[in-house]
Amino acid sequence: MVKEVERAGIPVAHICTVTPISMTVGANRIVPAIAIPHPLGNPKVSMEEEKVLRRKIVETALDALTTEVDGQTIFEVK
Amino acid sequence: MKLTIGNIRITDIVLGEQSAVTGSTLKVNVKELEALILEDERIASVCFDVAKPGESTRITPVKDVIEPRTKVEGPGGMFPGVVSKVATVGSGRTHVLKGMAVVTCGKIVGFQEGIIDMSGPGAEYTPFSQTVNLVLNFAPVEGLAAHDYEHALRMAGLKSAVYLGDLAKDVKPDEEIVYEFAPMAKGIEKYPGLPRVGYVQMLQSQGLLHDTYVYGVDMKQSLTTMICPTEVFDGAIISGNCVSACDKNTTYHHQNSPVVEDLFARHGVDLNFAGMIITNENVYLADKERSSDWTAKLVAMLDLDGVIISQEGFGNPDTDLIMNCKKIEALGVPTVIITDEYAGRDGTSQSLADVDAAANAVVTGGNANEVITLPKMDKVIGSLEYVDVIAGGFENNTNADGSITVEIQAIIGATNELGFNKMSAR
Repeated sequence: MVKEVERAGIPVAHICTVTPISMTVGANRIVPAIAIPHPLGNPKVSMEEEKVLRRKIVETALDALTTEVDGQTIFEVK
Repeated sequence: MKLTIGNIRITDIVLGEQSAVTGSTLKVNVKELEALILEDERIASVCFDVAKPGESTRITPVKDVIEPRTKVEGPGGMFPGVVSKVATVGSGRTHVLKGMAVVTCGKIVGFQEGIIDMSGPGAEYTPFSQTVNLVLNFAPVEGLAAHDYEHALRMAGLKSAVYLGDLAKDVKPDEEIVYEFAPMAKGIEKYPGLPRVGYVQMLQSQGLLHDTYVYGVDMKQSLTTMICPTEVFDGAIISGNCVSACDKNTTYHHQNSPVVEDLFARHGVDLNFAGMIITNENVYLADKERSSDWTAKLVAMLDLDGVIISQEGFGNPDTDLIMNCKKIEALGVPTVIITDEYAGRDGTSQSLADVDAAANAVVTGGNANEVITLPKMDKVIGSLEYVDVIAGGFENNTNADGSITVEIQAIIGATNELGFNKMSAR
């Protein structure tokens, strides 16, 4: 899906847990997620902390979308 | 550690009023076994059935398959840390009821349970069409959560296997096999010219019921570690049930690990079986990195010359597999990986979710997406209610003549990644 959307000229940030697979399939902007069963959440932390976490991941993905890359790049969530 | 396995050939199971092994017949006191199982208040009822090779019988949805065994001499008991107390197993003497299995079945837990056909084309794909099976068909009490139900039936299956295995304590085995694993220095001294070959076994540990237990420890909570290969013959590793049927390592597969058996068979002949490492397949990337780092580190510390790596399941564990492979190969140690494929129904898609050029020696258990039609059977143990929802099934897959069409993914052990199957290609 990542590749097809990019082929249509729209940049994609791929949020995923197993970044090596994302590299293998050819995504250009990759944002690491939390875990496979809960990519954008973490049941181990409080709801408040989880919201902060989710926002950080989404903001990192938005930043990635507007960043020029010259190859496959992993954008670590700060 | 030295372990003698005494196999007692079982060719028939008779349900009745007394439990005993008589010749090659296992008699089961149904009332006594039922009472043992119903000690767990989470189980509402259990039905017993026997399925024999060649019969027109379908068993589904199957959770686990277990071989009854018992410790006759040596420390510990069967399924240490789970049924027996924690104590190191893998030495002394163990008796096995060979040719039979305990099969757990009943209302579905998740969606990754499978089918065993005792005859017809489906029987070719599962090793458990060749065993005489005592099938335990459970019903949980109402309102029981899935994880509780899984635990209840896992324990019931293991306890039943121990109950039956214990009947073999005083029976003279039909054949005996001795397995001996030497400490590192002794192995080198004894087989100076032979390559030191190790086995890395990846254990399913994704959670959400996809789990494996080692001496009762949930493997996702463990770092990569070592085990003496004889321990697996005494039930040190057990299945947590919910992995796709075709490539789940049932408890029976662990008890009869073909990789361990074959490495022992060639130990001292053309290789020195120098160690077994067990690692996990967790859902956090950091865990994957840490565990595969640790695997490679143990390979270096054991000074291995070659490594066999086996996987369990598919999808994201393909990354664990490739990480293990890459990091061990980077040490200059050649690897062979054992996996299976999800290459689409026509077999043209990429087989694994992750790939690397370092994985240049691969043994495959087959393509799990291959489609098969299983003819109607005269008898069904369990229920056909779930054949469309289990992994490998799909909507409207029951045909007008009563046959069902599934991917071989739905068949227990069809593409087993320990090589416990017969499919091959060149």
